Amino acid sequence: MVGSPVLLIAIPLLAAFLIPLLGIFWKELVRIIPGLVLGYLTILSASLYIDVLNTGTIVETIAGWRAPWGINLVFSPLTGFLATLMTFIGFIIWLYSYRFKRNVEFEAAKKYFIFLMLLVAGSIGIVITGDIFNQFVFIEIVGISAYALTAFYTGRNSAEAAFKYLIMGSLSASALLIAIILIYSQLGTLNMAEIAANIHNMPPQYRVTAMIFFIIGIGVEAEIFPLNGWAPDAYTEAPGPVGSAFAGIVVKAGIYAMVRMMFTLFDISGPMQILIIIGMITLVVAETSALRQVQLKRMLAYSSIGQMGLVLVAFGMGTKAGVFAALFLMLNHAIIKPLLFFSGSYLVFNSKEKNISEMSGLGKLMPFTAAFFALGSFAIVGLPPFAGFWSKLSVLTAAANDGLLLIIAIVLLVSIVEIVYYFRVINRIYFFKFDKATSVVPHKPRVNALIAMAILAILILVIGFYPDSVSEILNRASEDLLNTPDYIKNVLSTGQSLTY
Amino acid sequence: MNIENIEIIRIGVYATSILLILIGLYAVLTKKSLIKIIIGLSIIDGGIHLLLIGIGYIKNGTAPIFSPGFENASAQMVDPVPQALVLTAIVIGFGVTAVALALIIRLYRHHNTLKIDEIKNLKW
Amino acid sequence: MEIIYLIFILFLSGAIATFLLGKVSKRLRDIAFITTLVVPSVLFFTQINIGQTVDFSVLGIHLSWGITNFSYIFAYIVLGLGVLAGIYAVAAMKGKENLGFFFFNYILSIMAMMGILFSRDLISFFVFWEIMTWSSYLMVVFTGKDVQKVGIKYFIFSAIGAYAMLMAIVITYSLTGSMMISNLIFAFPDFEFGMQILIPVLLLIGFGVKSAMMPLHVWAVGSYSHSPMAYTAVFSGALSKMGIYGMIIVMAGLVSRIPEGYWFREVIAWMGAITAVGGTLWAVAQDDAKKMLAYSSVAQLGYIIIGIAIGTPLAMLASLFMAILHGMFKGTLFMAVGAIEKQTGTTNFTEVTGLIRKMPFTFLASLMSIIALAGIPPLGGFIGKWMLYESVIGSNHYLLIIVIFFSSTAAFLYCYKFLFGFFLGQEEKEWAHVKEAPAMMVVPMVILAIGTFIFGVFPGLILNPIDAGLQELGYAVTQGRYWEMSVLFNEWGDTVVLQPILYTILAVFVFFLAFVLTKNFKKTRYVSTKDISSSGEIPKEHENLTFSRGFFQPFLRSVEPLMRRKIDPYYNSFGRGMEAIFDFVRRIYTGNGQTYALYVVVFALLLLIFKDRLWG
Repeated sequence: MVGSPVLLIAIPLLAAFLIPLLGIFWKELVRIIPGLVLGYLTILSASLYIDVLNTGTIVETIAGWRAPWGINLVFSPLTGFLATLMTFIGFIIWLYSYRFKRNVEFEAAKKYFIFLMLLVAGSIGIVITGDIFNQFVFIEIVGISAYALTAFYTGRNSAEAAFKYLIMGSLSASALLIAIILIYSQLGTLNMAEIAANIHNMPPQYRVTAMIFFIIGIGVEAEIFPLNGWAPDAYTEAPGPVGSAFAGIVVKAGIYAMVRMMFTLFDISGPMQILIIIGMITLVVAETSALRQVQLKRMLAYSSIGQMGLVLVAFGMGTKAGVFAALFLMLNHAIIKPLLFFSGSYLVFNSKEKNISEMSGLGKLMPFTAAFFALGSFAIVGLPPFAGFWSKLSVLTAAANDGLLLIIAIVLLVSIVEIVYYFRVINRIYFFKFDKATSVVPHKPRVNALIAMAILAILILVIGFYPDSVSEILNRASEDLLNTPDYIKNVLSTGQSLTY
Repeated sequence: MNIENIEIIRIGVYATSILLILIGLYAVLTKKSLIKIIIGLSIIDGGIHLLLIGIGYIKNGTAPIFSPGFENASAQMVDPVPQALVLTAIVIGFGVTAVALALIIRLYRHHNTLKIDEIKNLKW
Repeated sequence: MEIIYLIFILFLSGAIATFLLGKVSKRLRDIAFITTLVVPSVLFFTQINIGQTVDFSVLGIHLSWGITNFSYIFAYIVLGLGVLAGIYAVAAMKGKENLGFFFFNYILSIMAMMGILFSRDLISFFVFWEIMTWSSYLMVVFTGKDVQKVGIKYFIFSAIGAYAMLMAIVITYSLTGSMMISNLIFAFPDFEFGMQILIPVLLLIGFGVKSAMMPLHVWAVGSYSHSPMAYTAVFSGALSKMGIYGMIIVMAGLVSRIPEGYWFREVIAWMGAITAVGGTLWAVAQDDAKKMLAYSSVAQLGYIIIGIAIGTPLAMLASLFMAILHGMFKGTLFMAVGAIEKQTGTTNFTEVTGLIRKMPFTFLASLMSIIALAGIPPLGGFIGKWMLYESVIGSNHYLLIIVIFFSSTAAFLYCYKFLFGFFLGQEEKEWAHVKEAPAMMVVPMVILAIGTFIFGVFPGLILNPIDAGLQELGYAVTQGRYWEMSVLFNEWGDTVVLQPILYTILAVFVFFLAFVLTKNFKKTRYVSTKDISSSGEIPKEHENLTFSRGFFQPFLRSVEPLMRRKIDPYYNSFGRGMEAIFDFVRRIYTGNGQTYALYVVVFALLLLIFKDRLWG
């Protein structure tokens, strides 16, 4: 046993606290510590995950209180997969933003790294906790740090974006709290496993109402329509790496909370109409809105929302194939979208407006960055042989197995829209003439940023050429999500299962 | 005191909290001033906290502590969990409000207004 | 290691190596490029046996690669044209920027086409199909002209086609539980009625786009004329044949096995006929050689589609024969236009004249290809057209044959225009400096042109493999060899050699040559084309006598009603309409935080109101 899941939350929280203190001694520590922490977390979480795959779910009780009473952390094939993914993406984001704001702006970098730590800690917490109120707390931690990160740049409209995010976020947090109250008043417990075991004793009216409030409460983080008004603004105004953190980490946590709630907490089996409907609307509205965007990051934001809609559709099918496809999509999106944000924010680095029209002819001047952007675009629209294709294919086969032909048709039509707006950008980067008057001044990416992008690009190619490299993991994870009885058994029998 | 009175109190608490939530929602949805919107959000929070407390309410309840002379008092104990939850929720609400107010200062500096209608540079 | 894998690994690593070597040395890059094309081709033709397969699985789906008699026919086109056009490309693209990128995409699209031919399952088919699509897309936008319009249009149509295909693929998978093409064909007659209609329609949309079938052809002209000519030779010659390849599988494997197949055949045949007529008429109206050839390609593909749709063994034979020949002569013509563009800087008929003495080999290659295109014996085009006419008449499509006759007669007009516009006419001073293109460009053209001649005289060289391929598709041998159904071979040669024609023509040529040599040799005097004093008029040096402007106006006026209907504007306005709608949709995000809060509340209310419906 290399460590315990609780470290995954405790260490980044501690680091967030220590960063400003250690920064007093040596300013560079502010930048190094997050990297060390995230690197360690990645290794820890990966090794725990391998452990889990071999021996079975780890359930960690906090302070020795057994499951229904104490808070516990569940590190299962599903949550472990997501936690590992998040720590890894977190590490890549650190690698990319190691030189963030250079050395001159120490204060800014300090704040950035503190909130990044909180964001990662909160997101991991959302995923591995086994207690709904605890999850609420983590959602709020993520929320507060996300508001702060969104408002990072002064002098832009970032405060506006953060404020919108905050209004929606606190409204939804209230809804989440109401849902928790409803469940607690009926079942007298906050433990997910115990709720899941007893959920069918709850009167249907209460159950459905609680579920609706849950959907609203988590929907803001999961960017479902119409609760995603904040997302395009926040992605646009936040610094590039933060945008990728939103797309790669926060949304994943939100989606996880949503499906955990639907699949485990409310123990719904079979197709979930509500998820499919919401997902389809989200997908269509977001992708069509992306078509005419002027700003690059805003376009990426809408694309990100759309992808999450597709993930929800896939989860909504409720079958093994659907869940597998959804997890595959989440994995791919977590790799590809950060790559797009990374390279995209370097492409428009020196621009004030961050407009797509300013990117003409950058392909020749910034060959690597542009190539990474192109690779990311190819992958995200699902062109083979890149990673995105296999997840899209899995979604479609899963849908076809359920006979959802209309959904296949809509998803494919929307993909065409997606292709159009991504390829317009690629055309502009590569096949337009560079024009001093209108194009941005190219900004050479730093070495660490290039390494970060290269790692993601290699992953895209590996998954693209050899999708079976991840299919085993995803299979285990999707089985885990669908197997509610095992989840309940594992958690409620923690007493003997393991202590640290 | 008989059972009906307890129910009346309980319903009263619930009604008050729901009223608070609705008042807060009204403020959030109709008031144009950023400050008032934040006040509305706080009122919603207050309503929800009241709701939470209301769940654990027991007339003449005791503190949820087993101590000499109260070994068999578990039926009389107030449920401690909602209170713990409310404490946490209050802290979180405090944090959110603080961030919100900080943002409002920034917004006011940037836009020179507190009207939410006029702060929409980011759209579509 | 399996040779099949090796071929693809060679292609892929060669593409990357070519791209990277481009940063080091130009010569190394060119060598790497040619090697990457030649070595796998040699391996393919020497080491790969028909029927040899490799199997593997991805994501639990069983996939399989292997070559069949049928796909072998197309491999000739792809690799033959690919190698020759590749050699041509090295010389033609010399001095251009970004050549590493060009070669990279070139190799990738050749690889993708080979992959399509190797695929025995739908997933590999689709993967390679998409690789082919995006690599050819990157070629279309390579020159940077009109990328947002032409390029995006190409990709939208390709994506529509590919996704229609993908939908058919996933439906097939859910119905049969297997991705193998053979399983689809096997299980197809047992599908329910709706699926029997839906799957072929979706697949035909996919293949119809690539083979530029009306009304899905609108991308073709822009894309063919905008990509570098070295690539257009492959694009029009080989890549569009992939659509034909798929279409044949659908028509022979699926459509022919259901009762409703008849209607499919009629509809597709007529679509092909409309494609042929429309393409021809528009080709006649063009003044730009690239556009003319592009429309001509569309028209020729229309003929091929007619043959496939008719679906009798003879029609299939004719179509496949024409597909190969079209790859050869259209490849040559595009290369010739590329050579002219490189030497003169323009491809407009109204500007360039009198190149016949300056670019004699280009002229020779163009002449032979044009003859093949027009379908005049003894070149290959004749045999294909003859068999097509015969099969159309033989299957009682009399109205169709009138349409085809009309369009192939009209085709003579643009054939003439091509030869006259570029090569004949007065020699203008402006083009006095023009020289013949480099040998590396000329040789591939001439080889292909000679090929059209050889296949015209010895059609058995390719009719035999086509025959084997057709038997693989399930056309049972009823009377020996399919070509024996054709009058052509019954009357003029009971083997598939058309020597009698060859001998006749050779005799005429020899006679003519002898006549010229003996009678007029001494008196031969070389004059400039302006020296027409024999007509009683001596034009001034600067006077332009070329009348390559406004060709065929009376004809075009008479067919003008046919050409008035263009489908392109409809697509464009549809696209604009969609964009306007999408632009409207995004106004949901008003930018007002309060509205967003309202959305949260309204969403909650909606869910609460409809909760009974949503959870049953």
